[in-house]
Amino acid sequence: MSEYVFKMPDLGEGTVEAEIVAWHTAPGDAVAEDQIIVEVMTDKAAVEVPAPVSGRVVSIRGAPGDKIAVGSPLIVFEVSRGAPAAGPAAGTPAAATSAAATSAAATSAAATSAAASPSTMSPAAASPAAATPSAAPAGGRIMTSPANRRRAREAGIDLATVAGSGPGGRIVREDLLAASAARTDGAEADGAAPATGDAAGDGTPAGETSEIKVIGVRRLIAERMSEAKRNIPHFAYVEEVDVTELEALRRHLNSKLAKGEPSFTYLPLVILALVRTLESFPQCNVLYDAARGVLVRHRAVHVGVATQTPDGLKVPVVRNAQAMSLAEVAAETRRVTERARANKATREELVGSTITVTSLGKLGGIASTPIINAPEVAIIGLNKAVERPVVLDGAVAVRRIMNLSSSFDHRFVDGYDAAAMIQSLKELLEHPAMIFIPKVNSP
Amino acid sequence: MNKKSRLHLPNPPARPGQKPDFSYVHLSPAGAVPRPEVTARARDMESLAVELVRVLDDDGEAVGPWNPHLDAQDLQVGLRHMMLTRSFDDRMQRTQRAGKISFYMRSLGEEAVSVAGGMALRPGDMLFPSYRNQGLHIVRGIALVDMMCQLLSNTRDMCKGRQLPVMYHSKPGNLFSISGNLATQFPQAVGWAMAAALKGEDHLAASWIGEGSSAEADFHHALLFASVYQAPVILNIVNNQWAISTFQGYAGGEQRSFAARGPGYGIAGIRADGNDFLAVYAVTQWAAERARTGGGPTLVELVTYRGAAHSTSDDPARYRAKDDEAHWPLGDPIDRLKRHLIKLGEWSEERHRALVVELEALVAASWQEAVKFGTMSEGPKLNSDLMFEDVFKDIPPHLERQRAQMRSERS
Amino acid sequence: MAHMNMIQALNSAMDIMLGRDPSVVLMGEDIGYFGGVFRTTEGLQRKYGENRVLDTPIAEGGIIATAIGMAVNGLRPVAEIQFADYIYPGFDQIVSELARLRYRSAGQFFAPVTIRTPAGGGIRGGQTHSQSPEGIFTHVSGIKVVMPSNPYDAKGLLITAIEDDDPVVFFEPKRLYNGPFDGDPHKPAVPWTTHPKGQVPEGHYTVPFGVADIVRPGSQLTIITYGTMVFVVLAAAAALGVDAEVIDVRSLVPLDVDTLVRSVKKTGRCVVAHEATRFSGFGAELVSVIQEECFWSLEAPIQRVAGWDTPYPHAFEWEYFPGQARVAKAIKAVMEWA
Repeated sequence: MSEYVFKMPDLGEGTVEAEIVAWHTAPGDAVAEDQIIVEVMTDKAAVEVPAPVSGRVVSIRGAPGDKIAVGSPLIVFEVSRGAPAAGPAAGTPAAATSAAATSAAATSAAATSAAASPSTMSPAAASPAAATPSAAPAGGRIMTSPANRRRAREAGIDLATVAGSGPGGRIVREDLLAASAARTDGAEADGAAPATGDAAGDGTPAGETSEIKVIGVRRLIAERMSEAKRNIPHFAYVEEVDVTELEALRRHLNSKLAKGEPSFTYLPLVILALVRTLESFPQCNVLYDAARGVLVRHRAVHVGVATQTPDGLKVPVVRNAQAMSLAEVAAETRRVTERARANKATREELVGSTITVTSLGKLGGIASTPIINAPEVAIIGLNKAVERPVVLDGAVAVRRIMNLSSSFDHRFVDGYDAAAMIQSLKELLEHPAMIFIPKVNSP
Repeated sequence: MNKKSRLHLPNPPARPGQKPDFSYVHLSPAGAVPRPEVTARARDMESLAVELVRVLDDDGEAVGPWNPHLDAQDLQVGLRHMMLTRSFDDRMQRTQRAGKISFYMRSLGEEAVSVAGGMALRPGDMLFPSYRNQGLHIVRGIALVDMMCQLLSNTRDMCKGRQLPVMYHSKPGNLFSISGNLATQFPQAVGWAMAAALKGEDHLAASWIGEGSSAEADFHHALLFASVYQAPVILNIVNNQWAISTFQGYAGGEQRSFAARGPGYGIAGIRADGNDFLAVYAVTQWAAERARTGGGPTLVELVTYRGAAHSTSDDPARYRAKDDEAHWPLGDPIDRLKRHLIKLGEWSEERHRALVVELEALVAASWQEAVKFGTMSEGPKLNSDLMFEDVFKDIPPHLERQRAQMRSERS
Repeated sequence: MAHMNMIQALNSAMDIMLGRDPSVVLMGEDIGYFGGVFRTTEGLQRKYGENRVLDTPIAEGGIIATAIGMAVNGLRPVAEIQFADYIYPGFDQIVSELARLRYRSAGQFFAPVTIRTPAGGGIRGGQTHSQSPEGIFTHVSGIKVVMPSNPYDAKGLLITAIEDDDPVVFFEPKRLYNGPFDGDPHKPAVPWTTHPKGQVPEGHYTVPFGVADIVRPGSQLTIITYGTMVFVVLAAAAALGVDAEVIDVRSLVPLDVDTLVRSVKKTGRCVVAHEATRFSGFGAELVSVIQEECFWSLEAPIQRVAGWDTPYPHAFEWEYFPGQARVAKAIKAVMEWA
């Protein structure tokens, strides 16, 4: 028997660390190669990590919410010398090559070439466990000072189980103290656990509170939201839009659909209108590079679609909406939002938007103040479309009204421009035929 | 460069296969060179630096002003010392070839240099020899057994296993520790002599180096300091013509005699026949008296011939004519003293042969005794703990630690 | 007790030893009648005579060789080499003869010679008056190597050296002859009179070899140094406000390993500082020993502060000299590890 230490793989694009979302295995379990052992998250992409070998899990490192540096030990397997990998290993490649659905493929796609690795181990992973008797991990060492090694030894702490918070994943003294404290405190709860005693620490009697760790997507959202709000001077612009004609068009299009085909919502129509509007207002389709102090104006329009998922808010991206037909926009929007909801969206599908649209649909309210999806400079919010009495040609009429609640980055978008842009969008939405008229003399 | 080199490159007159030619050795007739007073100024006796002081002529008669008029008994003692030196050398050479010692250096043909020189000095005079002055040890009564034990690096080795063979010393015998580095002893001898003078004693120091070694900077320092402080020292250059394969021309001997360097420093320089027991004795005696009476240092060049190889690691047939030494114009020191003594009626070939046998037996018996203390292959061995002692007066902590480490490697 | 600068302290040591032991003689270039180019032997020839304090030819090899001969004849010579930069002609006699004599003669012969020589820079002397070659000598078995950093140690160590039956090479950091130097050449020179180590007993006393001096006790890090750097290190640590334990090695061979090890085991952090060039300098030995003995206590890699690996330049003196800035950088580097 020999040990195989699997380290956090490089999940692509300069990822330096990943957060553990959930373990799918525990010490003592027997796992087969390619079996999903843990779910980790980088930025917004959730990645399921398959076992690189078949064997028995000896130890795992980190609890949900812990950040593990790329290259640092994640899980230790016991593998048998000479024993060929079991059937699942043989079967998995076939499964892995089928598109989209399997997590293995998702992992591969998401992590670029690094994923099929867990690259540093690939010689061992590729061949049946038989050929690799060496217990030493290929490359990579636990980085810490001699004094810390001694402390760990004296405290009986296995350095392989300690997350390093120093540069390059180095274990610093605080990490040891934390590891030591974590052991003496007993296992931390993952997810909500009923607190015992005075968990809230404010005198609230036991049983009256429960704790939810701010981890995973929630933590990411929290971080991004506060950062956006902190850095960007938002200003809001709300306008009523008469979508009566838009609604008529939508119903007509839906009536022509075959049975079982998904129906159009406002969203693809708004996206198309937005794309047309941005042709005249390119200054709203920019990304701000704070490090270099430049605004990067994009020719393409990649529309982020704010989507509520069981994990929280995610913003999958409809890429190159400017090149899409209505049907394509609708289909792509549907695809990426469904994937986001199913927690299957890849990293590419969750990044790169140049402007975001957010809609609460039926729950939309009459006005809202959406938070800009940095580093974009504008976010367009759709409020609820309702029938309202309006004055039309001097008489009261019932029209379908939907408010647009938009926020702009006042550093780069002046009030006038924002207003003009929304007015232009409004015009298209109120006269939807105009959405489909090609622009004369396009630049 | 197509131009022919204009650099002069010294070469010996005869290489292997060529006819030996010693015409370059300037000789004076025996007895022809005057003997100045020991108080003579160096500049007034410069001719002695280029002539050749000789007492024994080619017929074995002692002639001229340098005749030391030694008693026949003293001459017999001298002869015996020289013969013992040679016998010892012969045996040790064979012993090395038999693999029983690792290295040896003979003094064949140079026995008079050391024996006569040593006998002309007092026991209280400090001697700073080179590795080819074993005759001095014989004169000073150092036991052959002790010398052999040093060659064997055995449990009775005076150097406790630390030195290459022939690097003897004797504190009671006033023979300074021999160094493997050339000429280092020359200025050290001068310093010793300076101290003797500072202390107001009439002891003197004497040192010997080869002509090849006179090229080293230490030679210059010795002459300079000897001259500046008028140290009571006798500085001997044993010009045996060869330094391994380096002909004496490379030490500057082509342009000037070695003794002539003395007057250059304001030091009396005397060139003498190193194979003439009486001449060596007489010149040494002169220099000793000069030094003891405040006359300062003397540079003595003893002209001789290295009869054998430089050491057991050398083969002179590769760079000089094989029968070179047979053509040496100044003969063999032992043979010449023998013939002189016979001429005086104080010796005979028979007694000579008997002495040879007696001395060979003495050497053999000494060897039997010496090997009891261990050989390279058998018998008691020195404790390697000794490696760590005498580096300093007291063994320091870091060497104690290293000794402990070595001990653990041993077991 | 008296105020003495280092020159006066050295002079006092030689004065006392000349008086106590008739076998002691001094020798060197310009040391007799003139009293030495740094005045270290001032007045001694006048007091003890030409037979005790000798002027010599300009021949470092000859000085050391004759010193050996004198020592073998029962004298106790103290030879001055005018600048350590000139010691090399005598290197063969030091290494091949002085260092080995006792060993190769199994103790029958030994030469209790003390070689004193001014070393180090900071005096605008260029490459022939500023070298610190002490590291080279520490590599030769059989000689003791010493470098004091203050008048009190200088006198005590020189007396110990003269009394020692082993050969000693005694390096005198010339920048410290007149006062401690904190590395800042623009500040007015501070004399030894104001420093506690400038208080020197007038009589005979010794400072033992093989004992390092904890100049400043501390808890956060250990700085091991000697010679001119002692005061540079103290100033740098003070400016940073770090609680450094500063150790003056002063006896390079024999080395007080125990004091160094005890300190680094306590603090876990170590800086080694010397003026000599970095590559294969004595600091390399110190770092190696600390690493071997204190590995499990080390919180951070050991830092070395040294002169650059170039000949000692003239115009770039203060960029060459390892001043407070270089020391501070090393201190910070060693403190930032957790």
